[in-house]
Amino acid sequence: MKATKQWIFHRISAVILAPLFAWFYFSLISFSEKNYQEATYFFENPLFKILIISLFFIGFFHAKISLNEIFEDYIHKKKIKDVANILALIFSIVFPVIILILLILKI
Amino acid sequence: MTDNQNPISPHLQIYRWHVSSLLSITHRIAGVINLLALILMFFWLLTFSLGENYYELFLLSINSFLGKFILIGFTWSMSFHILSGIRHLVWDLGYGFEIKTANISGVLVILSSLVVTIIFWSLGRGLI
Repeated sequence: MKATKQWIFHRISAVILAPLFAWFYFSLISFSEKNYQEATYFFENPLFKILIISLFFIGFFHAKISLNEIFEDYIHKKKIKDVANILALIFSIVFPVIILILLILKI
Repeated sequence: MTDNQNPISPHLQIYRWHVSSLLSITHRIAGVINLLALILMFFWLLTFSLGENYYELFLLSINSFLGKFILIGFTWSMSFHILSGIRHLVWDLGYGFEIKTANISGVLVILSSLVVTIIFWSLGRGLI
C-alpha cells in the first residue's frame, strides 16, 4: 500500500510541478539580464510568493520520491541505502523550509 | 536485516540500445539535473534575500560563459523531463504501449525537447 501511495503522489506532484517549474525557471532566465530593483517587484508579489513556496515544497517532495526509487535500483547495501534515503528526506525538508522563512521574514 | 538479494536494475552496459531504454535512462538523468536546477533557483532567492551585493555576484556567475552553458543545459533537461514525463503519464493512463507508437513518441520527445529549449531560451532572453 505504501508503494501505491508513493506512486500516486509521484504522479500528482509531477502534474502540479511541471507548470510551476517551467514558470519559475523561465523567470530566472528573464531576470538574469535584469537588476536587483526589477527582481524586487517580482519577489514581493504575494501571489508569486505562494507559487514559489509551493514549487519548492512540491519540487523537493517529487525529488525525494524519485531519489528513493533511484537508490532502490542502484544501491546494494541496505544500510547505505537507508542512510541515503534519510539524507534525501532531510534535504527535501530543509531547502523548502529555508525558502519559506526567507520569503515570509526577509523579502 | 540482510541485504536484499534481488537483482539490481537497470543493466545499462549489457543490453542493446533502443529508443525506449535511451529515453528511460535519460529521463532519470534529466530528473537529477532538474534537482540541481531547483537548487540553483534556491540560490537565486537566497542571494536576493542577502542583499544587492550578493545578488550582483549571482548575476555575474550565471551570465559567465560557464553559467550560460549550465542555464541552457538546465533548459534542455527541464524540457526533456517534462515532455518525457507527459509520455509516462499517458502510459499510466493506459495508452501508447504499442512498440511502434512508443518509438514514435520517444523520437518526438527528443526532437521537441530541442525545439522547446530553443524557444524557451529565446523568449526568456527577449531574442524573439
